Amino acid sequence: MGGKVTCTLGEVKNRGDFIIYWGGNPAECHPRHFTKYALMPKSKFLPNGRKDRTVVLVDIRPTKSAKAADIFLQVRPGKDFELITILRAMIKDQKISAEAVAETGVTLEQCTDLVARMKKAKFGCVFFGMGLSMTRGKHMNSAALLTLAAEMNAFTKFVAMPMRGHGNVTGADVVMRWQTGYPFGITFNRGYPRYNPGEFSTVDVLVRGDADAAFIIGADPGATMPQPAIDHLARIPTIVLDPHITHTSKLSRVHITTAVAGISAPGTAYRMDEIPLPLKPALKSPYPTDEEVVRRIKESIAKKPFWMPDGAQMIAAQV
Amino acid sequence: MLRITGGKVYDPANGIDGEVRELCVSDGKFVSAVESGRTIDATGMIVFPGGVDVHTHVAGGAINFARAMTPEDHRRTQAFIRSQTRRSGLGGMAPTTFATGYLYAGMGWTTVNEAAVPVLSARHTHEELGDIPIVDKSTLVLMANNEIVLDLLENGEYERAKNIVAWYIWAAKSYGVKAVNPGGVAAWKWGKDAKQLTSSIEGYSKLTPGDIILQLARICDDLGLPHPMHLHCNNLGAPGNISTTLDTLQHLEGHRAHIAHSQYHAYGGDDWDEMRSETAQLAEYFNTHPNITTDAGAVLFGDTVTITADGPWQHLLYKLTGRKWGNLDIENETGCGIVPYTYRPSNLVNAIQWSVGLELLLLIKNPWQVFLSTDHPNGGCFWRYPEIIQLLMCADFRKECLKKLPDKIKQRITLPEIVREYTLYEIATAMSAGPARALGLHQKGNLGVGCDADVVIYEHDDDVARMFGHPRYVIKGGEVVIEEGEIRATPDGREFIIKPHYDPGTEQFLQPLFEDCYTMAFENYPVEMERLENPDIRDCVPNL
Amino acid sequence: MSKIILRLKEQPTVPLEAEVLSPDTFADLSNDEIRSKIVYHGKRQRRVDDFFDVEGERSDDLELHGNLHRVRWIGRGMSRGRITVHGSVGMHLGAYMKGGEIEVHGNASDWIGAEMRRGLIRVHGNGGGQIGAGYRGSLKGMRNGTIIVDGSAGLEVGMRMRRGTIVIGGPAKDFTGLQMKGGTIVLLSGAEIRTGAWMIRGTIISLVPLQILPTFSYACQYTPDFLKVYSRQLQQLGITLPCDPADGAYELYSGDASVPGKGEVLVWNSA
Repeated sequence: MGGKVTCTLGEVKNRGDFIIYWGGNPAECHPRHFTKYALMPKSKFLPNGRKDRTVVLVDIRPTKSAKAADIFLQVRPGKDFELITILRAMIKDQKISAEAVAETGVTLEQCTDLVARMKKAKFGCVFFGMGLSMTRGKHMNSAALLTLAAEMNAFTKFVAMPMRGHGNVTGADVVMRWQTGYPFGITFNRGYPRYNPGEFSTVDVLVRGDADAAFIIGADPGATMPQPAIDHLARIPTIVLDPHITHTSKLSRVHITTAVAGISAPGTAYRMDEIPLPLKPALKSPYPTDEEVVRRIKESIAKKPFWMPDGAQMIAAQV
Repeated sequence: MLRITGGKVYDPANGIDGEVRELCVSDGKFVSAVESGRTIDATGMIVFPGGVDVHTHVAGGAINFARAMTPEDHRRTQAFIRSQTRRSGLGGMAPTTFATGYLYAGMGWTTVNEAAVPVLSARHTHEELGDIPIVDKSTLVLMANNEIVLDLLENGEYERAKNIVAWYIWAAKSYGVKAVNPGGVAAWKWGKDAKQLTSSIEGYSKLTPGDIILQLARICDDLGLPHPMHLHCNNLGAPGNISTTLDTLQHLEGHRAHIAHSQYHAYGGDDWDEMRSETAQLAEYFNTHPNITTDAGAVLFGDTVTITADGPWQHLLYKLTGRKWGNLDIENETGCGIVPYTYRPSNLVNAIQWSVGLELLLLIKNPWQVFLSTDHPNGGCFWRYPEIIQLLMCADFRKECLKKLPDKIKQRITLPEIVREYTLYEIATAMSAGPARALGLHQKGNLGVGCDADVVIYEHDDDVARMFGHPRYVIKGGEVVIEEGEIRATPDGREFIIKPHYDPGTEQFLQPLFEDCYTMAFENYPVEMERLENPDIRDCVPNL
Repeated sequence: MSKIILRLKEQPTVPLEAEVLSPDTFADLSNDEIRSKIVYHGKRQRRVDDFFDVEGERSDDLELHGNLHRVRWIGRGMSRGRITVHGSVGMHLGAYMKGGEIEVHGNASDWIGAEMRRGLIRVHGNGGGQIGAGYRGSLKGMRNGTIIVDGSAGLEVGMRMRRGTIVIGGPAKDFTGLQMKGGTIVLLSGAEIRTGAWMIRGTIISLVPLQILPTFSYACQYTPDFLKVYSRQLQQLGITLPCDPADGAYELYSGDASVPGKGEVLVWNSA
């Protein structure tokens, strides 16, 4: 149960002979993905490139990506979890009735064919997008696909990977993990990290009105979050660091313009497969980098009396 | 400046065995005398060189993957609370970076060697190492499944392969070469493994794991790397793998090598039901071959998370446990697998593993050849080393522990017959002087004038585990970092790296091969020097 | 023994973490000592009496009054005694509980009785999500004990639970009994979708029709003997489970075939 079986994008480029996209539209959302990594490249193991690969798209409607696929499976909206769970059962030769399968919008024959192809693949890879991870079922939809990929390894090589977007989300996740043990949804209110998505994740904290200040770097919750969260941001002192004026800047008390990472600010970005890429700035910016602003704010805070009373250096066991 | 007086000093590098000596420190190094500064009165106390971990996994993509997979452990484990000058962190099976520094220093270890770095994500590893305070660090890059290197070896292009290995070490800003399951990880990319040293590897026509082992050992020797090839043998963890291990060692005749976590490679029997210890054979080999060193990779009972570049083994472990499984294959270079695991005394296989680790430490006679390790976090977490020291120093305690194991184990192990007890001098060798010498870090594990002033001072305690778990003082680079159980300072550590010599034409040769199989720009691949927080370039003189 | 009565006098502006509100902590403390115990108001450490009027001392019978919807971790890890709340409470009510009883006359938020081992929690209003569940990454949810929520419940009720009983009076949301490993969930008003997803073992009983996952298969009509015993136990808590064949029967579905698991979903079909 649980876990993740994945690889770097070069492995897909070199070996991936069976590619599934689930709930994503890379043709429009990740325009370089097909040509650089997943479909077109030729390699030592796939000398004919695209011809050596089979591509499946699963989505609720035929997007532009469907044209790039050999097989398109149209799943009924909200039935992804059911369909993946059926596939998990079918790879283990469990019987599922044709009527039960048909409720997902895909037929038993299509599922049987897909399972046969998956098992015959030499190196399978499932990419999944927000059509899966942000619809009803959310993290459980992703978990279902990750589990399916892990279980496929009883038959052949299979991996899974989320199609991430939005700049350096992966980088934030990676750094938080090494510094705190947790990827996101962390509180430091007791002087050490604690984790509970749903309790400490930004959107939930804002919707419940649990925060009395907000400090936002490189994100625009004012454009993407539900209205109650946006209303709360407008109620409390909100500070935004961003190269541009965003929806969030407009409802914030303070906006600080910063240099654009990768163009005029150096650093490291983590690609969606967690490979670190150096950012080498090409231009100079009149604005400070995010790092510099945060450092200066931190220095000012350090001059104030420390908020934690003296106490033990550590807790031997939290539970 | 600092003076430590009155303590009984154990300094195996200089043959000092419990003599009362004075140590003087200035500018982070031992000197013959100082005129002022603090004096620590260590009368009645025990003075050791700071510990050196020759094989651990504390930074980079794999351990960070393990962190993501084990929130249930972070939630219950030890928590370090932040102060105005010190960052917070969590201990446990896969500690966070800041906590890693506190925990190592807290038990007197001051140098650690991160034993598995893919070059492709070395930038990440260095960023993490920069966030591990107090201890000094070195790293080893994974080479035995690098397909560019393997292709060259298959075609007999030794010189080219040697140049490319040297280039990779410098590109990663690393310190040496690690070989994990040579050929096996490459085969795993097709869901296969490489178990026979003399059979060709999946995807290759004639290259065998044995060839890779021999050629890489030669390359490390010819390049003059301060640390020899660091080898994780094929067939890890499998019953009957002693034959593979001995076969591997025979391939290495005439070369230097360090065999990692040999506990996992010393099993007899044909299957899990028949598994038994074969440490006598393996120890005998070490006892007659001083060119080879090893670390124990000892197992301690309890929860941990196993992480290794050995993907096929991890898939097997996942199938055995039915728990979580993480796997990350890295283009052209390597892979890694992560499976949380609980070693139980009631489980016969686990009990044998526990015994095998201790047997090797006790049967290999020369403590300059076998070092303390758990292959953290695989056999147990590094912060449990004091428990192993207790097992090594107290035969009676071992007997007590043996009583808790299944009866069936008696014919499978030799531990009950071993009466040896480590002396303090031998412990100081196996935890500090020995691993420092094997790593080629001559300024470490040594209390002599001119060496780094890393010292640990214990107050005598009949409870050995408590004594080693709670040093009275820990001094890193001349600075008191731990005192009476409190963290007093968290200075940054250094990173040891080398620049082995390679032919100037290497890049031109490599670039087209690189562009064929990688997905990042060639010029972005090498880690820039300025990415390292405190680099320290060590000498590397080729053997021509 | 007298009671300790706490009345909320100042509404916290951000969540108040108050695991000290537990019989185990207060049982041997004087009134002054109780008042001086630490609670966490956001990142600020404050005293119990900054937020509560405190009456009584040295008792394992606690009574809380007020709108405590921002107060988290009430009764965390408690092993004995009783907490009665007149008002609503925040997250993690009775998490890691080892014994004793909690009764809430009001609503409770997410993670009621998460990873609890023993004891009884009764919420007369609505409950949140993850009732009796395992925290993220944990292999097991509640190990034993009983949780009764008279009103509705949120997502992932009984996620990974190992033993024990959860009764939900109102409708539950998605993923009830997710990855369940044992124990029983009783749904008096049914649940939305994906009930019993990835179940390994355990029993989910619904008194109203359920949407069944495609990876569950219909087995038979079945009224297991243990239900009669169970029903008598639940009767003492005021919950009635039909089990007279004259009134109808249960339809048994087994699954989840994706695991493959041996869980049971029993849906009452009245005659």
